[in-house]
Amino acid sequence: MTRWFEDIVLDEVFSLGSHNFEADDMVRFAALYDPQSLHTDREAAQHSQFGGLVASGWHIASVAHRKMVDALFAEEERLRTLGHEPGLSGPSPGVNSMDFPAPVRPGDVVSFRLVVTNKRHSNTIPGWGLLFNRLTGTNEQGQLVYEANLVGFSKLRDYRMPWWQKLLQALTRVPIIGPLLARRA
Amino acid sequence: MTNPATDDRRYWEDLRLGEVIELGRTTLTREMITSFAREFDPFPFHLDESAAKASLLGGLAASGWQTGALCLRLLADSFLVTTASAGIVRVRNLKWKNPVMVGDDIGGTATITELSRSEHHPQFGVLALDFDVSNQRRLPVLLMRLSVLVAERPVGALA
Repeated sequence: MTRWFEDIVLDEVFSLGSHNFEADDMVRFAALYDPQSLHTDREAAQHSQFGGLVASGWHIASVAHRKMVDALFAEEERLRTLGHEPGLSGPSPGVNSMDFPAPVRPGDVVSFRLVVTNKRHSNTIPGWGLLFNRLTGTNEQGQLVYEANLVGFSKLRDYRMPWWQKLLQALTRVPIIGPLLARRA
Repeated sequence: MTNPATDDRRYWEDLRLGEVIELGRTTLTREMITSFAREFDPFPFHLDESAAKASLLGGLAASGWQTGALCLRLLADSFLVTTASAGIVRVRNLKWKNPVMVGDDIGGTATITELSRSEHHPQFGVLALDFDVSNQRRLPVLLMRLSVLVAERPVGALA
């Protein structure tokens, strides 16, 4: 979340709210990015193994991401109102896994949750930490429809760059030596 | 019974390990990037040029989720359209290697790296594809292993 790396508590559960998957949105997404008849064509989808229209897995993942972004913004706002300086999250390097154990059908309301399962200092970017997040989506029947293990960056509040690292960073801006150092790093 | 939606397509039995699918290419416009970001990833660096310039990305960049979605679209057009496929089952080791900026042209290959029977869906197999997608400067932008369900050849259908 938008907290400093040091303030992130493992296994704390964040409710990200729910999303109502509407048929029109499912079809619109799939027409652009995942044009398979079980996602785009109500008639043809009757013949699929699900017996009707289902959301593209990538649509579910994109909605889950949006719910996480909204929660990050809300947490930032909450910290500011309390008079705290919010932390900073960085771009994600990737996703370890995504699973879609049950289909999402038109009208399904999916509730999303986020848990930070692990964290450690980054080996490659000084001053930043890595967060291992598990994001899940559950339908109204309590069935798991989405589970993702995501990696994110969070900035360290109490980080002071060592003098040799500052020097190295300054040297990367010097012509000729700079590009060579950057290549080594 | 044959499924009318999957007639004349390649079934699970027709696919071979090591087969390389040429995905073709696609170019990202500013409008594509901002409309996806407004709906799914409304960070300022995906929406606003000046905010993007000041960020780590250094310019207006597509959401990584959109890059992935476009890879899926390339797969649909180049491969799934002629395959009896039935949706994504799982994704493993998705890595965003470099940001995709306005005007970037991305494309690459997907290689069949696994063929197995589905545990949960009888009459279906699972096909794993390793994506290797890069931009016009040949910098890698996305790697992932994506698994999709593919129907087995219906009994009585011609090989």
